[in-house]
Order: sequence, then C-alpha cells, then structure tokens
Amino acid sequence: MKAGILTAVTGVLLGFSLSRIGFSSWDEVHAMFTFDSLRMIFAFLFAAVFLAIAWPLIARVTGATWSPRLIHKGTIFGGVLFGIGWALSGSCPSIALVQLGEGQLGAGVTLLGIFGGNYLYSVVHERYFRWQARTCADE
Amino acid sequence: MTYWPWWLSGLALSGVMLFHWFSLQRMMAVSGRFTGLVDRFRFGKQEPVEEMSPEDLMAALQAATMAEFGSPGVPGEDSTSAGDTPDEPVHLAAAPLASSARPLSHHLLFLGGLVLGGFVSLLLLGGAPVTATLRGAGFAAATGENPVLSYAFLGLGGALVGFGTRMAGGCTSGHGLCGTSRLQPGSLVATVSFFGAGIATSLLLGALL
Repeated sequence: MKAGILTAVTGVLLGFSLSRIGFSSWDEVHAMFTFDSLRMIFAFLFAAVFLAIAWPLIARVTGATWSPRLIHKGTIFGGVLFGIGWALSGSCPSIALVQLGEGQLGAGVTLLGIFGGNYLYSVVHERYFRWQARTCADE
Repeated sequence: MTYWPWWLSGLALSGVMLFHWFSLQRMMAVSGRFTGLVDRFRFGKQEPVEEMSPEDLMAALQAATMAEFGSPGVPGEDSTSAGDTPDEPVHLAAAPLASSARPLSHHLLFLGGLVLGGFVSLLLLGGAPVTATLRGAGFAAATGENPVLSYAFLGLGGALVGFGTRMAGGCTSGHGLCGTSRLQPGSLVATVSFFGAGIATSLLLGALL
C-alpha cells in the first residue's frame, strides 16, 4: 500500500518535471539532438554528475549496493535503435505518457509502438538470441 | 512555453531519481516497467525463471548460504581491520530476489502518475488545446502536417524505442542517468549509442527538411 502510493507519487513528480524541463516537447528534443539548444544536454549532464556524487555517499551511509550494468551483445544495437526511435517520436519510454497527460494524443500511437516493440523483442530474443538480456527491472 | 533552466532541470531530475531510490529502494528504470507489464501479459502472474541474471542468482545463493551458515567467508565481516573491507561490497542484500515480484498495480500506478504529472504541469500553465498528434512547429514541419506521416513517425519511433530499450536493457532513466552516474560500462556504452543515434537521426531529419 505504502509502496504503491510512493510509486505513484514518484511517477507524478517525474511526469511533472519532464514536462517542465521540455522533454515532452518534440521540438525541444529535436533542438537538443541537433545542438540548437544545449539546455537539456546540460540538464542531463548536471543530473548525471550530481548523482555520481550522491550514490557513493548513499552507499557509504546506508551500505547499499547495486547490480552492475554490463555490456552485452544488445547494448550497442539496442541503444542505436532506441536513439533513432527517440528522435523520430520525440519520446523515450516515460515521455509518451507525459505527452498523453498534456493532451498530445498522438502519443497514444507512440505508446502502442513501445509496448509492441518491447513485446516483439522479448519474442525475438527467446527465438534467436542466447545472451542474457538484463533489464532495468532486475536492478 | 518557458521551460526550467538547465540547473533546475538537472536538480529536478536528480531529485526524482533519489526520491525513487529512497522511497522504493530501487533505481528508477522506466523501460523496466514496460518490460514488467509485457512479461505479465505474456506469462501471466508467474515470472519466468530464466529472467534472473547470473549476478542476481549469485547474490541470492550468497544470501541463502549466509542465512544458513552465517557469513564466515566474507572479508570484512570478521574481526580483522576495517581496511579489509572490499571497495566493491559483496552483494549482501537478498533484495534482487524480491525485485522481479513487483505487483502489476505498481507499474500501472507509476505510468498513471506520469500521465497525471503531465496533466497537472500543463493545467498549472493555463492549459492548451488537445491535439490529435503532437504540438510544436518542428514536428509539424518534419511531418508536413500530414496525419499519416505523423502517426508513422510516432508508431515506428515508438516501436524502435520499445524494441531498442528492451534489447539494450534500459533507457534514459536506468542507463542514461542511474547507470552512467555509477560509471557502469553497459550504461555508458548504451547512453553513447542512443544519444549518438538520436543526434544522427535528428541531423539527418533536419537536412532533409
């Protein structure tokens, strides 16, 4: 119950922030990828550096450890496909939902695509690939 | 629409990642939630056993062994100096075992929260008319305001996002922010790959317009 509420609150906080940062705007994402605007690139780098400082402190205080994220055969090719898709749709996985909330209803098509693509990969992986596909969900 | 400046945006992103970790004891990983939903749809309530990674399996075995026999073999646990404690601590917690058992409702609550967050954000700004595609002059220019082309961008792009994030094992949150900030090799390579491909695609798209 408590975990469910915290999960929903985290979703709202992320959705609100992504909307205000501009990640839910196709134009802003395009401007980021074409370097017409460096604002979101700096935001991303700033967050990465901030967290890079925060995690070791948290680990020291709480004793927490995290699973490693290793390179496997799908890392590069999967990343490239994701990048192409992000540039075309203007959406990484959370963004389609934020866009829906903002009344950008075309994101419903994006969302169907994300579910379909995820499903398709899980089938393809089982049939043709043998490597271990770690997902974030394992973390 | 004016967006947050870079520093506030960066603070907000890190704040949400930290809030997620402190409240749920897990790294934020949005594509993992899609994977959780898809697997639930495919396999029903039972998670497939082979989904457990070698690292998690080792951790689970280790935790089980220690629960059974205590922890004599773990350096730093005995009375020797604290200097023996390894830099990369052994995966003590059995948490990864429980990790695959997140209820379906939590995934839906998270994704629903994202929708609500976007809705509230726009509402507080005074709202905007609902659009059947996406807002923005750039998107309109890229698709020529052709509905078929617009939905082709969104559907094909979305499918590549779903396929690619599952293949790479993460997306902007899990790899891009939480993984790179821990200097994880898989995350660094994945992030360079998807940012690189996004840049190449957008530059190409810009040149074609």
